[in-house]
Amino acid sequence: MTLSLGQLGQASIFMALALSLYAIVAGVLGAVRRDARLQTSARFTAIAVFLATTTAIAVLEVALLLDDFSLKYVAETSSLGAPTWVKVVTLWASLNGSILLWTWLLSGYTAVLALSAPNNVMRPWALVVMQCVQLFFIGTLATIANPFTVLSNPPLDGPGPNALLQNHWMMAVHPLLMYLGFVGLTVPFAFAMAALITRRPGTEWMTQTRTWTMTGWGFLTAAIIAGGWWSYEVLGWGGYWAWDPVENVSFLPWLTATAFIHGVQVQERRRMLKSWNVMLIVLTFALTILGTFLIRSGVLSSVHAFGAGPTGIVFLGFFIIVVLVSFGLLAWRWDQVRDQAELDDLVSREGSFLVGNILFLAMTFAVLLGTVFPLIVEAFTNDKVTVGSPFFNQVSLPIWILIFILMGIGPLLPWRKAETQTLTKNLLWMAGGAFVFAVLSFIFGMRKIYPLITVAVVGWNLVSLGLLIAGAVIPRAKITRKSIASVFKQYAFENKRRFGSMVVHFGVIVIALGIMASSAYRVDRQINIPYGKSAEFQGYTLKAIDKFTDPPMEELAAAQQTGRAINRISVGAIIELWQGDKLVKVKRPRLNRFAGQQMTVSTPAVLYLPFYDIYLNIVGEVTPETTSVTIRAVQSPLVTWIWVGAAVIIVGTAYALSPNGRRVRESKETRVGA
Amino acid sequence: MKKTIYGVAGVAILVFAGFLVYRAMQSGLTYFILPNEYAKQQDRYEGRRIQLGGIVEAGSVKFDEETLLLNFNITDTFQTYPVSHTGAPPDLFKDNTGVVIEGKFDGNVFVSNSVKVKHSEEYKPPAEGEAVNLEELKETLY
Repeated sequence: MTLSLGQLGQASIFMALALSLYAIVAGVLGAVRRDARLQTSARFTAIAVFLATTTAIAVLEVALLLDDFSLKYVAETSSLGAPTWVKVVTLWASLNGSILLWTWLLSGYTAVLALSAPNNVMRPWALVVMQCVQLFFIGTLATIANPFTVLSNPPLDGPGPNALLQNHWMMAVHPLLMYLGFVGLTVPFAFAMAALITRRPGTEWMTQTRTWTMTGWGFLTAAIIAGGWWSYEVLGWGGYWAWDPVENVSFLPWLTATAFIHGVQVQERRRMLKSWNVMLIVLTFALTILGTFLIRSGVLSSVHAFGAGPTGIVFLGFFIIVVLVSFGLLAWRWDQVRDQAELDDLVSREGSFLVGNILFLAMTFAVLLGTVFPLIVEAFTNDKVTVGSPFFNQVSLPIWILIFILMGIGPLLPWRKAETQTLTKNLLWMAGGAFVFAVLSFIFGMRKIYPLITVAVVGWNLVSLGLLIAGAVIPRAKITRKSIASVFKQYAFENKRRFGSMVVHFGVIVIALGIMASSAYRVDRQINIPYGKSAEFQGYTLKAIDKFTDPPMEELAAAQQTGRAINRISVGAIIELWQGDKLVKVKRPRLNRFAGQQMTVSTPAVLYLPFYDIYLNIVGEVTPETTSVTIRAVQSPLVTWIWVGAAVIIVGTAYALSPNGRRVRESKETRVGA
Repeated sequence: MKKTIYGVAGVAILVFAGFLVYRAMQSGLTYFILPNEYAKQQDRYEGRRIQLGGIVEAGSVKFDEETLLLNFNITDTFQTYPVSHTGAPPDLFKDNTGVVIEGKFDGNVFVSNSVKVKHSEEYKPPAEGEAVNLEELKETLY
């Protein structure tokens, strides 16, 4: 009996389902009875689940690469003529495959957790929670989101993935980063639940999961920025963030996760904010599920139209279960989670973290409300509305400014209570920096109020970083009589977590400047240029040279004769950018049409420069008859700083996670010995 | 002391939430309607920024490449309005396609600054002579 790919895939999903169920039962029994054999069995089952899901995903990839159109998923999403890399990423081009990817990563993380987590009372429960989440996902795959449905009459070819997804290599990157972020943050959630169940809501669960949390947060940050960059390079409006529901839904868990990674520090140092931290990580995980419901169920209008289906609503059900169970557990164990120590003073490190938590939550609430408002309005009045950027910008910008101000003061405040003299001195320095930056910008022509405030806050933060570094380095240099540079290097080497966080905050400042400049000082014009003529734009002369096709006309004609299918046909315009009499660059913005699809997707041409981008996108048509080309030209100052700032954040995060240099351990030993 | 802080915090949260809702209602909300709904409730939507959904009336599209002015008629088969837009038509914009335009009514003409073609899988333009189900049309365009 030959086994078809579809059957193999189905079998592996059912296998994973059964194994997951067993892992939960064995895990719970093993934890409750403290039975080491059952616990070990559950741990090894996690690995088996991973093998099953790996088989499933391998089957789907093979089906895609072999053009097996008997599988409904392949028939609806892939096409014969698509390039190989497109066939590979078609795995997650549509919902069912996307859920499979999420499931596979989740099972991978669970397997690693089963092998690497330290042996303590929490481990079996954390694994049980992970398996319960897995059960939901695998159950969804086995029922309504089945990627292995078989067609009795397979078609000869398929339409290929959505043109927007074939058009850019980011398709291979952004969804993976996003899911790695979501799954990464599921681990601290599982441990938080385990901590509550085992009555250990102390610091253990957080320190153990610190690497998981930071890595998950890092991936989520990278995913959001990557999404913005993808938007910028593909969607043709020269922007990177539109407060669209799909974007908001990834942003919400990021906000609560950021609050969480800061709250963790307070708990580690002062054993406070325990309940806050549990609530924040529960919120983070719950928001990823709620978000998936909002954007996959069709209840919200979005430009990223993922298409509606029955799968969306089950995520709502799961969300409700998660919230009820987690908050139920929290209420049950409230006595242990409640803070014993009280806040000594609001003006302290822990005080600043508390205020920060409140600000992040306020922003989360605002963005969530704005995103679901259309739903609420439609439920009550039957009117259809959209909530646009103005609402989100007006509400979030003031909160961001406050958060940035806090980002400057917080690290400088000591624990417990700030000493007035030092505090005043630091504040004066920082205020001075803010003032200088604002005044300089004003002199150089900046007049808009939000940019001026942003620049002032950047100055505030740069001085803060300077004070932090000076405060760490100068006393050491004086005592050891070494050079500032070598002391600085040593400090950075021995205090990776602290220094890494400074690097991350610096990255945030860079991004803030990038967003400020590209929003407030953007120039956006549509220009019609006849071929052979030119037009002026922001100091550049844009010369429209001619049209072009890719593949070239001869190849197209030959293909038409032989009947060969071409996956992508592009037409575009050759535009030369001149400054004075110097040719800066030749750009080729184009319009692409993919075989089997109606939609034309544009590929803008972007001139990346350190201080601004010149972005050219063809609007209108390019046909044999047109004698001119209509271009949307956008100049975005400092937009590259957003991508660069994000890279700085990733580097800082990785650095903060790397183990400290040897010297710290040596000196600790000496101190203990003496 | 602690109770007072929590009390103040609670009130602050409620005030903040109320402020958000107020802000959303004021500036953020953009109503999405079909042409016939505008005809029925002109005073409600006049002068306000709205999203108008409908179909591009066949034969009504005029685009001047020099001035970048796009003119066409938007219809839901019960009511038709002329539209004026500065900028080239987006990809796939042609007769009988579903569009969502954003802007304001200036007298009888809709001045739009954003034209989006709706190409979701569910949308199918009505066949010749077929009566349009307005609810369905609105649903697929939203």
